[in-house]
Amino acid sequence: MKQRIRDIIQYKTYAELKAESQRYYLGFLWWLIEPVIYMLVFYFVFGILFQRGTEDFVVFLLTGLVFWHWFQSTVMQGVDTLQANRVLYNQVFVPKYLFPAVVMLKNSAKFGVVLAVLLLFLLVYGINPSAPWFTALPVLAVGGAFIAGTTALVAAITPFVPDLRVLIENGMRALLFMSGIFYDINSFQTPYRIVFELNPVALLIDNLRSVLLRNQFPDWGELAAVFLLATVLGLAGLALMRANESRYAKIAY
Amino acid sequence: MPTDAPVVSLRSVGVCYRSRGRLLGGATEYWALSDVSFDVYPGETIGIVGRNGAGKTTLLKAIAGIIEPDQGSIAREEINLSMLSLQVGFLPQLSGRENAILSGMLLGLDRNAAEHRVADIEAFADLGGHFNEPLATYSSGMRARLGFSCALHSTADVLLIDEVLGVGDQNFRVKSNAAIKDLIRSNRTVLLASHNLATIRELCDRVVWIDNGRVRAAAATGEVLDEYMQ
Repeated sequence: MKQRIRDIIQYKTYAELKAESQRYYLGFLWWLIEPVIYMLVFYFVFGILFQRGTEDFVVFLLTGLVFWHWFQSTVMQGVDTLQANRVLYNQVFVPKYLFPAVVMLKNSAKFGVVLAVLLLFLLVYGINPSAPWFTALPVLAVGGAFIAGTTALVAAITPFVPDLRVLIENGMRALLFMSGIFYDINSFQTPYRIVFELNPVALLIDNLRSVLLRNQFPDWGELAAVFLLATVLGLAGLALMRANESRYAKIAY
Repeated sequence: MPTDAPVVSLRSVGVCYRSRGRLLGGATEYWALSDVSFDVYPGETIGIVGRNGAGKTTLLKAIAGIIEPDQGSIAREEINLSMLSLQVGFLPQLSGRENAILSGMLLGLDRNAAEHRVADIEAFADLGGHFNEPLATYSSGMRARLGFSCALHSTADVLLIDEVLGVGDQNFRVKSNAAIKDLIRSNRTVLLASHNLATIRELCDRVVWIDNGRVRAAAATGEVLDEYMQ
Protein backbone atom coordinates (compact mmCIF):
# COMPACT_ATOMS: atom_id res chain seq x y z
CA MET A 1 0.00 0.00 0.00
CA LYS A 2 1.35 3.40 -0.88
CA GLN A 3 2.38 5.68 1.95
CA ARG A 4 0.05 8.38 0.66
CA ILE A 5 -2.99 6.09 0.83
CA ARG A 6 -2.01 5.02 4.32
CA ASP A 7 -1.77 8.69 5.31
CA ILE A 8 -5.20 9.38 3.82
CA ILE A 9 -6.77 6.43 5.66
CA GLN A 10 -5.20 7.57 8.92
CA TYR A 11 -6.17 11.20 8.46
CA LYS A 12 -9.69 10.41 7.34
CA THR A 13 -10.19 8.08 10.32
CA TYR A 14 -9.02 10.79 12.68
CA ALA A 15 -11.21 13.31 10.87
CA GLU A 16 -14.34 11.17 11.06
CA LEU A 17 -13.79 10.36 14.73
CA LYS A 18 -13.35 14.05 15.40
CA ALA A 19 -16.37 14.88 13.28
CA GLU A 20 -18.50 12.41 15.24
CA SER A 21 -17.34 13.65 18.59
CA GLN A 22 -18.05 17.25 17.65
CA ARG A 23 -21.46 16.71 16.21
CA TYR A 24 -23.10 16.23 19.60
CA TYR A 25 -23.16 18.15 22.83
CA LEU A 26 -21.82 15.18 24.79
CA GLY A 27 -19.08 14.59 22.23
CA PHE A 28 -17.08 11.40 22.49
CA LEU A 29 -18.90 10.46 25.70
CA TRP A 30 -21.42 8.98 23.29
CA TRP A 31 -18.91 6.26 22.40
CA LEU A 32 -19.55 5.01 25.93
CA ILE A 33 -23.14 6.06 26.45
CA GLU A 34 -24.45 4.51 23.26
CA PRO A 35 -23.17 0.97 23.95
CA VAL A 36 -24.29 1.27 27.58
CA ILE A 37 -27.86 2.14 26.53
CA TYR A 38 -27.74 -0.70 24.02
CA MET A 39 -26.61 -3.16 26.69
CA LEU A 40 -29.15 -1.93 29.24
CA VAL A 41 -31.97 -2.75 26.84
CA PHE A 42 -30.75 -6.33 26.45
CA TYR A 43 -30.13 -6.68 30.15
CA PHE A 44 -33.62 -5.45 30.94
CA VAL A 45 -35.28 -7.82 28.48
CA PHE A 46 -33.24 -10.97 28.99
CA GLY A 47 -31.87 -10.49 32.48
CA ILE A 48 -34.94 -9.10 34.20
CA LEU A 49 -38.06 -9.75 32.11
CA PHE A 50 -37.16 -13.25 30.98
CA GLN A 51 -35.24 -14.01 34.17
CA ARG A 52 -32.60 -15.81 32.23
CA GLY A 53 -30.22 -14.35 34.76
CA THR A 54 -27.93 -17.03 36.05
CA GLU A 55 -25.39 -15.78 38.53
CA ASP A 56 -22.93 -14.26 36.13
CA PHE A 57 -25.44 -13.22 33.52
CA VAL A 58 -24.41 -9.58 33.46
CA VAL A 59 -20.77 -10.19 32.51
CA PHE A 60 -21.81 -13.02 30.23
CA LEU A 61 -24.19 -10.75 28.34
CA LEU A 62 -21.86 -7.73 28.25
CA THR A 63 -18.98 -9.73 26.77
CA GLY A 64 -21.19 -11.02 23.97
CA LEU A 65 -22.79 -7.65 23.27
CA VAL A 66 -19.52 -5.73 23.17
CA PHE A 67 -18.23 -7.96 20.39
CA TRP A 68 -21.57 -8.00 18.58
CA HIS A 69 -21.79 -4.23 18.60
CA TRP A 70 -18.33 -3.96 17.03
CA PHE A 71 -19.27 -6.47 14.33
CA GLN A 72 -22.74 -5.16 13.56
CA SER A 73 -21.96 -1.43 13.39
CA THR A 74 -18.84 -1.92 11.28
CA VAL A 75 -20.45 -4.22 8.72
CA MET A 76 -23.59 -2.10 8.38
CA GLN A 77 -21.53 1.05 7.83
CA GLY A 78 -19.46 -0.90 5.33
CA VAL A 79 -22.63 -1.56 3.34
CA ASP A 80 -23.15 2.19 2.82
CA THR A 81 -19.63 3.52 2.76
CA LEU A 82 -19.04 3.64 -0.99
CA GLN A 83 -22.34 5.32 -1.67
CA ALA A 84 -21.65 7.80 1.15
CA ASN A 85 -18.31 8.75 -0.42
CA ARG A 86 -19.38 8.85 -4.06
CA VAL A 87 -18.88 12.62 -4.38
CA LEU A 88 -15.27 12.17 -3.37
CA TYR A 89 -14.36 9.39 -5.79
CA ASN A 90 -16.15 11.23 -8.57
CA GLN A 91 -13.69 14.11 -8.10
CA VAL A 92 -10.42 12.27 -7.70
CA PHE A 93 -9.25 8.75 -8.29
CA VAL A 94 -8.73 6.91 -5.02
CA PRO A 95 -8.54 3.15 -4.44
CA LYS A 96 -11.93 2.15 -3.08
CA TYR A 97 -10.63 -0.07 -0.27
CA LEU A 98 -9.77 3.18 1.45
CA PHE A 99 -13.42 3.63 2.49
CA PRO A 100 -14.11 0.28 4.21
CA ALA A 101 -10.65 0.59 5.81
CA VAL A 102 -11.67 3.89 7.39
CA VAL A 103 -14.96 2.36 8.59
CA MET A 104 -13.04 -0.54 10.15
CA LEU A 105 -10.48 1.65 11.89
CA LYS A 106 -13.05 4.15 13.13
CA ASN A 107 -15.27 1.50 14.67
CA SER A 108 -12.31 -0.40 16.10
CA ALA A 109 -11.13 2.72 17.88
CA LYS A 110 -14.58 3.12 19.41
CA PHE A 111 -14.62 -0.58 20.27
CA GLY A 112 -11.26 -0.15 22.01
CA VAL A 113 -12.79 2.37 24.40
CA VAL A 114 -15.74 0.11 25.17
CA LEU A 115 -13.47 -2.91 25.58
CA ALA A 116 -11.32 -1.04 28.11
CA VAL A 117 -14.44 -0.27 30.13
CA LEU A 118 -15.59 -3.89 29.89
CA LEU A 119 -12.25 -5.21 31.16
CA LEU A 120 -12.34 -2.70 34.00
CA PHE A 121 -15.85 -3.82 34.83
CA LEU A 122 -14.76 -7.48 34.85
CA LEU A 123 -11.96 -6.66 37.28
CA VAL A 124 -14.29 -4.73 39.56
CA TYR A 125 -16.78 -7.57 39.30
CA GLY A 126 -14.16 -9.84 40.80
CA ILE A 127 -12.82 -11.84 37.87
CA ASN A 128 -9.14 -12.60 38.36
CA PRO A 129 -7.08 -12.20 35.21
CA SER A 130 -4.95 -15.28 34.64
CA ALA A 131 -2.93 -16.67 31.74
CA PRO A 132 -5.93 -17.24 29.42
CA TRP A 133 -6.90 -13.56 29.71
CA PHE A 134 -3.98 -12.62 27.53
CA THR A 135 -5.16 -14.93 24.79
CA ALA A 136 -8.06 -12.50 24.41
CA LEU A 137 -5.63 -10.69 22.14
CA PRO A 138 -5.48 -13.39 19.43
CA VAL A 139 -9.25 -13.95 19.81
CA LEU A 140 -9.88 -10.25 19.21
CA ALA A 141 -7.35 -10.17 16.38
CA VAL A 142 -9.19 -12.98 14.59
CA GLY A 143 -12.49 -11.23 15.39
CA GLY A 144 -11.12 -8.02 13.88
CA ALA A 145 -9.93 -9.88 10.79
CA PHE A 146 -13.37 -11.43 10.35
CA ILE A 147 -15.10 -8.04 10.70
CA ALA A 148 -12.63 -6.40 8.30
CA GLY A 149 -13.04 -9.17 5.72
CA THR A 150 -16.83 -9.09 5.89
CA THR A 151 -16.87 -5.29 5.71
CA ALA A 152 -14.59 -5.25 2.65
CA LEU A 153 -16.79 -7.75 0.85
CA VAL A 154 -20.15 -6.07 1.56
CA ALA A 155 -18.66 -2.66 0.69
CA ALA A 156 -17.47 -4.01 -2.66
CA ILE A 157 -20.73 -5.71 -3.65
CA THR A 158 -23.65 -3.62 -2.40
CA PRO A 159 -23.09 -0.66 -4.78
CA PHE A 160 -23.77 -3.06 -7.68
CA VAL A 161 -26.51 -5.07 -5.98
CA PRO A 162 -28.38 -2.61 -3.74
CA ASP A 163 -31.05 -5.22 -2.97
CA LEU A 164 -28.41 -7.01 -0.95
CA ARG A 165 -28.69 -4.32 1.68
CA VAL A 166 -32.13 -5.61 2.65
CA LEU A 167 -30.82 -9.17 2.84
CA ILE A 168 -27.85 -8.13 4.94
CA GLU A 169 -30.09 -6.24 7.35
CA ASN A 170 -32.23 -9.31 7.83
CA GLY A 171 -29.17 -11.55 8.02
CA MET A 172 -27.92 -9.33 10.84
CA ARG A 173 -31.17 -9.77 12.71
CA ALA A 174 -30.92 -13.54 12.32
CA LEU A 175 -27.31 -13.50 13.49
CA LEU A 176 -28.21 -11.41 16.52
CA PHE A 177 -30.52 -14.17 17.70
CA MET A 178 -28.37 -17.09 16.58
CA SER A 179 -24.96 -16.12 17.86
CA GLY A 180 -25.42 -16.92 21.52
CA ILE A 181 -25.32 -13.35 22.70
CA PHE A 182 -27.88 -13.78 25.47
CA TYR A 183 -27.66 -17.52 25.95
CA ASP A 184 -24.86 -20.06 26.08
CA ILE A 185 -24.40 -21.97 22.83
CA ASN A 186 -22.82 -24.83 24.81
CA SER A 187 -26.18 -25.60 26.40
CA PHE A 188 -27.50 -26.90 23.06
CA GLN A 189 -27.18 -30.50 21.93
CA THR A 190 -26.74 -31.86 18.46
CA PRO A 191 -28.31 -31.53 15.90
CA TYR A 192 -28.90 -27.86 16.79
CA ARG A 193 -25.28 -27.21 17.64
CA ILE A 194 -24.48 -27.04 13.94
CA VAL A 195 -26.13 -23.58 13.83
CA PHE A 196 -23.37 -22.30 16.08
CA GLU A 197 -20.51 -24.39 14.82
CA LEU A 198 -20.93 -22.93 11.35
CA ASN A 199 -21.44 -19.40 12.66
CA PRO A 200 -18.16 -17.43 13.00
CA VAL A 201 -19.79 -14.78 15.18
CA ALA A 202 -21.04 -17.39 17.66
CA LEU A 203 -17.62 -19.07 17.75
CA LEU A 204 -15.83 -15.77 18.31
CA ILE A 205 -18.16 -14.74 21.13
CA ASP A 206 -17.88 -18.17 22.76
CA ASN A 207 -14.09 -18.05 22.60
CA LEU A 208 -14.01 -14.54 23.99
CA ARG A 209 -16.10 -15.74 26.94
CA SER A 210 -13.82 -18.74 27.42
CA VAL A 211 -10.75 -16.57 27.87
CA LEU A 212 -12.31 -13.68 29.77
CA LEU A 213 -14.89 -15.39 31.98
CA ARG A 214 -14.20 -19.13 32.16
CA ASN A 215 -10.45 -19.02 32.63
CA GLN A 216 -9.98 -21.29 29.62
CA PHE A 217 -7.73 -21.03 26.59
CA PRO A 218 -9.43 -20.48 23.25
CA ASP A 219 -10.13 -23.28 20.79
CA TRP A 220 -7.25 -22.63 18.41
CA GLY A 221 -8.74 -24.84 15.70
CA GLU A 222 -11.91 -22.75 15.65
CA LEU A 223 -9.90 -19.53 15.55
CA ALA A 224 -7.79 -20.81 12.67
CA ALA A 225 -10.92 -21.76 10.71
CA VAL A 226 -12.49 -18.33 11.28
CA PHE A 227 -9.24 -16.61 10.32
CA LEU A 228 -9.10 -18.59 7.10
CA LEU A 229 -12.67 -17.59 6.28
CA ALA A 230 -11.86 -13.96 7.13
CA THR A 231 -8.92 -14.01 4.74
CA VAL A 232 -11.01 -15.45 1.92
CA LEU A 233 -13.79 -12.87 2.43
CA GLY A 234 -11.31 -10.01 2.68
CA LEU A 235 -9.33 -11.01 -0.41
CA ALA A 236 -12.56 -11.47 -2.38
CA GLY A 237 -13.67 -7.98 -1.35
CA LEU A 238 -10.34 -6.41 -2.26
CA ALA A 239 -10.21 -8.22 -5.60
CA LEU A 240 -13.73 -7.08 -6.45
CA MET A 241 -12.98 -3.46 -5.62
CA ARG A 242 -9.79 -3.61 -7.62
CA ALA A 243 -11.43 -5.18 -10.66
CA ASN A 244 -14.20 -2.54 -10.63
CA GLU A 245 -12.08 0.40 -9.53
CA SER A 246 -13.32 2.74 -12.27
CA ARG A 247 -16.91 1.48 -12.38
CA TYR A 248 -18.10 2.64 -8.97
CA ALA A 249 -17.94 6.26 -10.12
CA LYS A 250 -20.41 5.50 -12.93
CA ILE A 251 -23.13 4.01 -10.74
CA ALA A 252 -26.18 6.24 -10.57
CA TYR A 253 -27.45 5.91 -7.02
CA MET B 1 2.14 22.31 -32.61
CA PRO B 2 4.67 20.86 -30.13
CA THR B 3 6.84 18.07 -31.45
CA ASP B 4 7.22 16.06 -28.19
CA ALA B 5 5.38 12.81 -27.64
CA PRO B 6 1.83 13.30 -26.35
CA VAL B 7 1.27 13.06 -22.57
CA VAL B 8 -2.25 11.76 -23.06
CA SER B 9 -3.59 9.91 -26.09
CA LEU B 10 -7.24 9.09 -26.58
CA ARG B 11 -8.12 6.45 -29.17
CA SER B 12 -11.77 5.81 -30.08
CA VAL B 13 -12.83 6.36 -26.50
CA GLY B 14 -16.41 5.51 -25.63
CA VAL B 15 -18.05 5.77 -22.22
CA CYS B 16 -21.39 4.16 -21.54
CA TYR B 17 -23.63 4.74 -18.55
CA ARG B 18 -26.02 1.92 -17.81
CA SER B 19 -29.05 2.41 -15.66
CA ARG B 20 -29.46 -0.47 -13.28
CA GLY B 21 -31.80 -3.15 -14.57
CA ARG B 22 -35.06 -3.88 -12.76
CA LEU B 23 -37.00 -7.10 -12.66
CA LEU B 24 -39.69 -5.44 -14.74
CA GLY B 25 -38.11 -3.33 -17.44
CA GLY B 26 -34.51 -3.93 -18.33
CA ALA B 27 -31.43 -1.77 -18.17
CA THR B 28 -30.98 1.15 -20.53
CA GLU B 29 -27.70 2.25 -22.06
CA TYR B 30 -26.53 5.76 -22.67
CA TRP B 31 -23.31 6.49 -24.52
CA ALA B 32 -21.99 9.73 -23.04
CA LEU B 33 -18.93 9.56 -25.29
CA SER B 34 -18.26 7.64 -28.44
CA ASP B 35 -15.29 7.36 -30.74
CA VAL B 36 -13.34 10.25 -29.23
CA SER B 37 -9.72 10.48 -30.36
CA PHE B 38 -7.17 13.21 -29.84
CA ASP B 39 -3.71 13.77 -28.35
CA VAL B 40 -2.59 16.15 -25.65
CA TYR B 41 0.96 17.46 -25.93
CA PRO B 42 3.09 18.70 -23.05
CA GLY B 43 2.65 22.36 -22.18
CA GLU B 44 -0.36 23.08 -24.35
CA THR B 45 -3.75 24.31 -23.25
CA ILE B 46 -6.74 22.65 -24.84
CA GLY B 47 -10.20 24.09 -24.56
CA ILE B 48 -13.19 21.76 -24.47
CA VAL B 49 -16.48 23.25 -25.59
CA GLY B 50 -19.94 21.81 -26.05
CA ARG B 51 -23.53 22.15 -24.85
CA ASN B 52 -24.66 21.02 -21.41
CA GLY B 53 -24.70 17.23 -21.40
CA ALA B 54 -22.46 16.97 -24.44
CA GLY B 55 -19.95 14.85 -22.50
CA LYS B 56 -17.31 17.38 -21.39
CA THR B 57 -17.22 16.32 -17.74
CA THR B 58 -17.33 12.63 -18.67
CA LEU B 59 -14.36 13.25 -20.95
CA LEU B 60 -12.34 14.89 -18.18
CA LYS B 61 -13.26 12.13 -15.73
CA ALA B 62 -12.14 9.48 -18.20
CA ILE B 63 -8.84 11.25 -18.78
CA ALA B 64 -8.35 11.57 -15.02
CA GLY B 65 -8.93 7.82 -14.63
CA ILE B 66 -11.96 8.33 -12.39
CA ILE B 67 -14.00 6.29 -14.83
CA GLU B 68 -12.70 3.81 -17.35
CA PRO B 69 -13.70 3.90 -21.02
CA ASP B 70 -15.98 1.09 -22.17
CA GLN B 71 -14.44 1.28 -25.61
CA GLY B 72 -11.09 2.40 -26.93
CA SER B 73 -8.16 3.36 -24.78
CA ILE B 74 -6.50 6.25 -23.03
CA ALA B 75 -2.71 6.16 -22.81
CA ARG B 76 -1.06 8.37 -20.22
CA GLU B 77 2.60 9.17 -19.72
CA GLU B 78 3.97 8.59 -16.24
CA ILE B 79 2.76 11.94 -15.08
CA ASN B 80 0.96 13.49 -12.21
CA LEU B 81 -2.47 14.30 -13.56
CA SER B 82 -5.37 15.66 -11.62
CA MET B 83 -8.81 17.08 -12.05
CA LEU B 84 -9.03 20.49 -10.49
CA SER B 85 -12.13 19.83 -8.43
CA LEU B 86 -13.33 22.18 -5.77
CA GLN B 87 -13.77 21.20 -2.14
CA VAL B 88 -12.45 17.66 -2.60
CA GLY B 89 -13.18 15.52 0.43
CA PHE B 90 -14.22 18.45 2.60
CA LEU B 91 -15.71 17.46 5.95
CA PRO B 92 -17.84 20.08 7.72
CA GLN B 93 -16.59 19.32 11.24
CA LEU B 94 -12.92 19.80 10.35
CA SER B 95 -11.22 23.18 10.41
CA GLY B 96 -10.20 24.96 7.23
CA ARG B 97 -6.60 23.98 7.95
CA GLU B 98 -7.40 20.28 8.40
CA ASN B 99 -9.56 20.24 5.29
CA ALA B 100 -6.74 21.83 3.32
CA ILE B 101 -4.37 19.04 4.40
CA LEU B 102 -6.84 16.24 3.69
CA SER B 103 -7.74 17.78 0.33
CA GLY B 104 -4.08 18.09 -0.60
CA MET B 105 -3.48 14.42 0.13
CA LEU B 106 -6.53 13.40 -1.88
CA LEU B 107 -5.29 15.51 -4.79
CA GLY B 108 -2.05 13.54 -4.83
CA LEU B 109 0.38 15.00 -2.28
CA ASP B 110 1.98 13.05 0.51
CA ARG B 111 1.26 14.23 4.02
CA ASN B 112 4.42 16.31 4.42
CA ALA B 113 3.90 18.15 1.18
CA ALA B 114 0.25 18.71 2.02
CA GLU B 115 1.17 20.21 5.38
CA HIS B 116 3.81 22.42 3.80
CA ARG B 117 1.34 23.75 1.31
CA VAL B 118 -1.09 24.91 3.97
CA ALA B 119 0.59 28.27 4.56
CA ASP B 120 0.13 29.20 0.87
CA ILE B 121 -3.49 28.12 0.92
CA GLU B 122 -4.14 30.08 4.09
CA ALA B 123 -2.60 33.20 2.57
CA PHE B 124 -4.52 32.91 -0.67
CA ALA B 125 -7.90 32.05 0.85
CA ASP B 126 -7.53 35.04 3.17
CA LEU B 127 -10.07 33.81 5.71
CA GLY B 128 -8.31 35.28 8.75
CA GLY B 129 -9.06 33.51 12.02
CA HIS B 130 -11.79 31.43 10.37
CA PHE B 131 -9.10 29.22 8.84
CA ASN B 132 -8.86 27.38 12.14
CA GLU B 133 -12.62 27.15 12.67
CA PRO B 134 -14.77 24.20 11.54
CA LEU B 135 -15.95 24.38 7.96
CA ALA B 136 -19.55 24.07 9.20
CA THR B 137 -19.35 27.69 10.42
CA TYR B 138 -18.36 29.01 6.96
CA SER B 139 -20.62 30.88 4.58
CA SER B 140 -20.86 29.34 1.13
CA GLY B 141 -18.60 32.09 -0.21
CA MET B 142 -15.94 31.30 2.38
CA ARG B 143 -16.21 27.63 1.56
CA ALA B 144 -15.75 28.40 -2.12
CA ARG B 145 -12.65 30.49 -1.35
CA LEU B 146 -11.08 27.66 0.62
CA GLY B 147 -12.05 25.11 -2.03
CA PHE B 148 -10.57 27.23 -4.78
CA SER B 149 -7.36 27.88 -2.87
CA CYS B 150 -6.83 24.17 -2.25
CA ALA B 151 -7.37 23.33 -5.90
CA LEU B 152 -5.16 26.18 -7.07
CA HIS B 153 -2.19 24.84 -5.14
CA SER B 154 -2.31 21.49 -6.85
CA THR B 155 1.12 20.45 -8.06
CA ALA B 156 -0.09 18.19 -10.87
CA ASP B 157 1.68 18.41 -14.24
CA VAL B 158 -1.53 17.97 -16.18
CA LEU B 159 -4.54 19.88 -14.95
CA LEU B 160 -8.09 19.07 -15.93
CA ILE B 161 -10.28 22.06 -15.21
CA ASP B 162 -14.05 21.84 -15.35
CA GLU B 163 -15.53 25.32 -15.35
CA VAL B 164 -13.86 26.56 -12.21
CA LEU B 165 -12.94 30.10 -13.00
CA GLY B 166 -13.58 32.85 -10.51
CA VAL B 167 -15.51 32.16 -7.34
CA GLY B 168 -16.62 34.20 -4.33
CA ASP B 169 -17.24 37.95 -4.03
CA GLN B 170 -16.08 40.58 -6.52
CA ASN B 171 -12.59 40.96 -5.06
CA PHE B 172 -11.91 37.29 -4.75
CA ARG B 173 -13.40 36.64 -8.16
CA VAL B 174 -10.91 38.98 -9.79
CA LYS B 175 -8.04 37.53 -7.78
CA SER B 176 -8.99 33.90 -8.41
CA ASN B 177 -9.55 34.54 -12.09
CA ALA B 178 -6.11 36.04 -12.39
CA ALA B 179 -4.54 33.20 -10.41
CA ILE B 180 -6.07 30.45 -12.48
CA LYS B 181 -5.09 32.21 -15.69
CA ASP B 182 -1.52 32.38 -14.40
CA LEU B 183 -1.71 28.71 -13.58
CA ILE B 184 -2.96 27.88 -17.07
CA ARG B 185 -0.33 30.05 -18.72
CA SER B 186 2.44 28.39 -16.71
CA ASN B 187 4.32 25.50 -18.24
CA ARG B 188 1.69 22.97 -17.34
CA THR B 189 -0.54 21.03 -19.64
CA VAL B 190 -4.16 22.03 -19.23
CA LEU B 191 -7.50 20.81 -20.45
CA LEU B 192 -10.11 23.45 -19.80
CA ALA B 193 -13.80 22.72 -20.18
CA SER B 194 -15.81 25.92 -20.15
CA HIS B 195 -18.81 27.76 -21.54
CA ASN B 196 -16.93 31.02 -21.31
CA LEU B 197 -15.77 31.39 -24.89
CA ALA B 198 -13.88 34.62 -24.23
CA THR B 199 -11.71 32.79 -21.71
CA ILE B 200 -11.20 29.87 -24.06
CA ARG B 201 -10.19 32.22 -26.84
CA GLU B 202 -7.80 34.01 -24.53
CA LEU B 203 -6.09 30.96 -23.03
CA CYS B 204 -6.29 27.97 -25.33
CA ASP B 205 -4.00 26.87 -28.13
CA ARG B 206 -6.46 24.37 -29.50
CA VAL B 207 -10.12 23.57 -28.97
CA VAL B 208 -11.97 20.27 -29.04
CA TRP B 209 -15.70 20.63 -29.66
CA ILE B 210 -17.72 17.80 -28.20
CA ASP B 211 -21.22 17.36 -29.57
CA ASN B 212 -23.47 14.51 -28.47
CA GLY B 213 -20.50 12.59 -27.14
CA ARG B 214 -18.52 12.86 -30.38
CA VAL B 215 -15.73 15.13 -31.52
CA ARG B 216 -17.38 17.60 -33.85
CA ALA B 217 -14.18 19.55 -34.47
CA ALA B 218 -10.64 19.69 -33.13
CA ALA B 219 -8.35 22.41 -34.42
CA ALA B 220 -6.86 25.82 -33.70
CA THR B 221 -8.93 27.90 -31.27
CA GLY B 222 -10.16 30.61 -33.64
CA GLU B 223 -11.19 28.15 -36.30
CA VAL B 224 -13.28 25.94 -33.99
CA LEU B 225 -14.87 28.79 -32.05
CA ASP B 226 -15.98 30.58 -35.20
CA GLU B 227 -17.75 27.43 -36.29
CA TYR B 228 -19.10 26.73 -32.81
CA MET B 229 -20.72 30.15 -32.53
CA GLN B 230 -22.73 29.81 -35.70
